[in-house]
Amino acid sequence: MRKEYAWTIMVTVVILFAVFFVYPAFTIVGEAFGKKGGGFTFAYITAVFRDPVYLEGLWNAFALGIVSTAATLLIAFPLALFSHRYDFVGKKWLSVLVLVPLILPPFVGAVGVKEMLGVDGALNAFLIDLGWMEAARPYDWLANGRFTGIVLMNALHLYPILYMNIAAALSNLDPAMEQAAQNLGCPPWRRFWKITFPLTLPGVFAGSSIVFIWAFTELGVPLVFDYARVAPVQVYDGIKDLGGNPLPYAIVAIMLVISAVVFAVSKLVLGRSPLGTAPRPKGRSNDVVLRGVKSWLVCGVFVAVFLFASVPHLGVIFLSVSNDWYQTILPSELTMRHYDEALGNSLVVPSIQNSLFYASMATLIDLLLGIAIAWVVVRSKIRGRAVLDSLVMLPLAVPGLVMAFGYLALSQPGKPFAFLIGADGNPALLLIVAYAFRRLPYVVRSAVAGLQQSNPVLEEAARSMGATPVRTLRKIALPLIGANLAAGAILAFAFAMLEVSDSLILAQQSEHYPITKAIYTLLSTLGNGVQLAAALGVWAMVFLSVAIIGAAVIGGKRGGLFKV
Amino acid sequence: MESIRAEKVVKAFGETRALNGVTLEIRPGELFFLLGASGCGKSTLLRCIAGLESPTSGAIYFGDRDVTAMAPHKREAAMVFQSYALWPHLTVAKNISFGLEERKVPKDETKRRVEEALAMVKLEGFGERSIDAMSGGQQQRVALARALVVRPKCLLLDEPLSNLDAQLRIEMRREIRRIVKEFGLTAIYVTHDQEEALAMADRMAILSRGVIEQLGTPEEVYRDPRTSYVAGFIGETNLCDGVIEKDANGYAVRFGQVRLAARITNPDWQPGDGQNGKVSMRPEALRIDPAGQIAAKVVEKVYLGQSIQYWVETAFGRLQVVEQNPHRIYGPGDALMLAIDVADVVLLEK
Repeated sequence: MRKEYAWTIMVTVVILFAVFFVYPAFTIVGEAFGKKGGGFTFAYITAVFRDPVYLEGLWNAFALGIVSTAATLLIAFPLALFSHRYDFVGKKWLSVLVLVPLILPPFVGAVGVKEMLGVDGALNAFLIDLGWMEAARPYDWLANGRFTGIVLMNALHLYPILYMNIAAALSNLDPAMEQAAQNLGCPPWRRFWKITFPLTLPGVFAGSSIVFIWAFTELGVPLVFDYARVAPVQVYDGIKDLGGNPLPYAIVAIMLVISAVVFAVSKLVLGRSPLGTAPRPKGRSNDVVLRGVKSWLVCGVFVAVFLFASVPHLGVIFLSVSNDWYQTILPSELTMRHYDEALGNSLVVPSIQNSLFYASMATLIDLLLGIAIAWVVVRSKIRGRAVLDSLVMLPLAVPGLVMAFGYLALSQPGKPFAFLIGADGNPALLLIVAYAFRRLPYVVRSAVAGLQQSNPVLEEAARSMGATPVRTLRKIALPLIGANLAAGAILAFAFAMLEVSDSLILAQQSEHYPITKAIYTLLSTLGNGVQLAAALGVWAMVFLSVAIIGAAVIGGKRGGLFKV
Repeated sequence: MESIRAEKVVKAFGETRALNGVTLEIRPGELFFLLGASGCGKSTLLRCIAGLESPTSGAIYFGDRDVTAMAPHKREAAMVFQSYALWPHLTVAKNISFGLEERKVPKDETKRRVEEALAMVKLEGFGERSIDAMSGGQQQRVALARALVVRPKCLLLDEPLSNLDAQLRIEMRREIRRIVKEFGLTAIYVTHDQEEALAMADRMAILSRGVIEQLGTPEEVYRDPRTSYVAGFIGETNLCDGVIEKDANGYAVRFGQVRLAARITNPDWQPGDGQNGKVSMRPEALRIDPAGQIAAKVVEKVYLGQSIQYWVETAFGRLQVVEQNPHRIYGPGDALMLAIDVADVVLLEK
């Protein structure tokens, strides 16, 4: 590839990133440190740390991040290890099914869980039915376990990300590594701790840092669980007096720093990892084929995780078809009227149209940028391509909340991004830009993986026969990595549809709401708003399960997509 | 020292049989080679012996012990992997001491034995290096030291030199043979490189499609190949079709006008007079000799200094001829006569 092309792409991407990613993020930092009349101050930051309410919020968010990550790890690691090491009943289907939790924004799932585990929910009804609980004194699982509830929701939603990272790390391991230890007399359990685990740590760290940042800055779930004393919710509440109060900015800046540190540490661990230069696996693996009880046991673990992780989804589905679901195990009366009504609701149909439009446009931008970036990173020899590669991964490190806040501040009338807001306050362009940059890493990663796997000689052959670089790209390279691109694009699309922070904060008028904001708004609508929200949630689930299963099938080698 | 025995070992992967009833005995202290093209089953056999794969049927014995169902780590057979399988998160010394730690060898003895092992593979002072800081040849030595330090009864090597460059490969051949002999180990060495096998092996087995084609010393296999597959696989040879003639003096082969005295190598094969067969003639066995019986015309020559290679056209096909220390060089178009001894004309089943 000609150097000029590479440099043009590189400079374009860097400028776009500087404008639409770095600038908004630093605006937050600027607001947090900038005095009203100009100048620099630590006053707002210290004010946050002096305020016991804000301090508690930050601490709670941090604790949620840590505990959620640990819980996620506890679910994901055994699953990944089992599916790597054993062959068992239904493995092919189960290893795709465990990805299903990704299809529902966790805050919608939280609504379902509230119905299942609330005072008058299905679990209590079940326990009362069994006679294990007095009907007069039902236990309030959620009020007493709000923190636990949020952790559970996070873990059940996020474990697939970690699962895929660890599975990828395991499959990149030369099977001979373990066999050598086995050959030298190391029994299975010790082999795991001495060889397998240390060698998969980079994958664990990569996945964990994403999960931590996600849980640490999660806004939707605490909102639904009415858990106000957590930093993201405090920031969200703080929007109302954005003009006057600099403290939300300060909180966001602190969260940004913490996230960046976590990301940097994980990168450092990854960079130092001896696996950096390890060759691709060469040895032959031998999957242990389990038989009889053992096979069913492992299968049972997968099914249990899947069932447990589907509790929120089931809750949402039941809710969407229930006339009246109160103090009973299952809804006492089933109806489709919420779906009917939803179609007539002024929020529902436009929000689906909006989300489809925003997400498709964002995905299109991601594809164009992603292919160009991957091309430079993999095929060009220019300096700084490694920097470019890390730069485009940064959106994984910066909380959506921070970005949303940055965009909000910059799109106020008279600010530089005001042009992105349409004349009637339409945030379409702003949301598309926001979605595109946040989901770009998925497309870049899959395109990079695809290009790395395909042999450059195939492209050189086309060039030597007189094809221009552009034609080579279109006729040879792109068709070869089509499956990777499709998988990355589907994920980017799915996560754009599910985006919460930007959607909630940037869409201000109901006719421009995306699905997530529509659901959130419906939840607080009187009457059957909750059921309508659930019906809309089910629609979203249907869209996304098709998309994600498609991505998993097309992508084939899962995991690469989520690697940092 | 221990013998290793495989008895009617079959390994099936689904429908395909990687091993189709292999029986062989490896003598104590022997450096034994499993040789064959890729996919012939040689690695599968080695992995069955190591316990990394379990045979579908048949049995494997170490000495008198039936190890067919025994866990790999109890077999006391240390393996050197093709990819070396050195653990990148451990230092060189830690890699080597791994097996000793598993055997609960005391700390000071472990230290001493690791030093010894490093010295043996000529890597003194490299103990604290990380694996990534070692070159390919050094990694190969570390892998060898890691296997030897536990003092195994036998050593299993899976294409250990295939990732090294040619120069280093030749150096390591002698090195590995020296070490194996010094330790009195029974060793099985898998490779597809026939030169490596000829240079190093005490005995070797040539596998093809999951069965042993021939078993013997390098000289036996090279001089007396029993099948045309073995003749073609080990060394260069000219394989020609001819008609077998049998009389009181023994065998001969006829190609039209030319008749050459020949011998058979496979005692189980007694071809009759007039039967079609194949003949193997090594390039270096064909001599340029005015008194020879085979008329030939030079087509192409490759001068290599110490020797010269000719491709010549004869009445029964194109032959390769190698002459050592050539004094007179023929060019394309030159006519010459070729001679060959009866011992070098090997009759094979078609």
